[in-house]
Amino acid sequence: MKGAASFGDGDPGPLVRPFAVTRGRAGRDLHGLDILTLVMTARPEAEHAGLDREYREILRLCQHRALSIAEIAAHMDLLLAAVKVLVSDLIDNGYLIHRPPPAVMARPDINLLQAVLDGVRKL
Amino acid sequence: MVYANSNALSHPDLGGAQAVKILISGGFGAGKTTMVSAISEIKPLRTEERLSQIGASVDDLTGVAGKTTTTVALDFGRITISPEVVLYLFGTPGQDRFWFMWKELSAGALGAVVLADTRRLTDCFGALDFFETRGIPFIVAVNCFDGAERYDEDEVRHALDIDSRVPVVFCDARQRSSSKQVLVRLLEYLMLAARAVTFGPPRLAGRPRAACLLRKSRDHLDTHVVARHG
Repeated sequence: MKGAASFGDGDPGPLVRPFAVTRGRAGRDLHGLDILTLVMTARPEAEHAGLDREYREILRLCQHRALSIAEIAAHMDLLLAAVKVLVSDLIDNGYLIHRPPPAVMARPDINLLQAVLDGVRKL
Repeated sequence: MVYANSNALSHPDLGGAQAVKILISGGFGAGKTTMVSAISEIKPLRTEERLSQIGASVDDLTGVAGKTTTTVALDFGRITISPEVVLYLFGTPGQDRFWFMWKELSAGALGAVVLADTRRLTDCFGALDFFETRGIPFIVAVNCFDGAERYDEDEVRHALDIDSRVPVVFCDARQRSSSKQVLVRLLEYLMLAARAVTFGPPRLAGRPRAACLLRKSRDHLDTHVVARHG
């Protein structure tokens, strides 16, 4: 289990903490956030000072590059559900901009597939 | 989602950034995480999702401390295709009780690789069924484990009872070049499928899949038949 090593006096444990940081909220339709929704910080670091630690951490991770919800969750060792809540809060307050992954289409985008194929061939 | 486009226009910072995903699936121990590790540009990341996320929304988790929460781990890797496009490779959870997670994972996926282990071929039936019934294009990659019997493409295709157009490739999931080739074959197949006017109906869902894998032995060929439930 992740986080087991840091299971000390001050930390209620890996299962409780994610819900503690979201103050018990989870599972609402949070801007339709998906594991692959990309987010990026929209405000300068100077404006992050008053925020809780987890919010600041997300903004730091996404300061210079777009990151997916999945990557943020992995870097922060938080559940996806918890990260979606936190990211949603930051979007609501204008700290993050976001872009959902490409919509599910009947016909996939040939140009996108070609770009991915070219990229993989170059590996 | 209307806000998606308006958001992109009003915030040019995200530019043309796009995230796409390919699923690496197969039975437990078929080499999913191995393949993701072999080709990802980063050490595979792991994140977790609550099992209680199943389909429904959970409005309030206040007091959750007193409850037992089970999570499912997701391993994924990343390949930066261009400054705009990032490809994520998600290993699908390898146990049947995590099927619910496949739904979110597969939504919007470009396609999938189904890793097959010829020693336990039936283990990938669940993945084949899942992608076939949802019309998600996939290829089969036979992970050639050391010491496993070798079969040719026709034998595997027959044993898996898959559409004749679905590519079957052989790979060593530990090798970066081999795993890369699997992705290339998948993407070529996806382009072919996308260009086709009609790609035909997916394999009839619900038809029992029976694996008749020829088991090679020194003295004779013995037909090993296993039937899939459900």
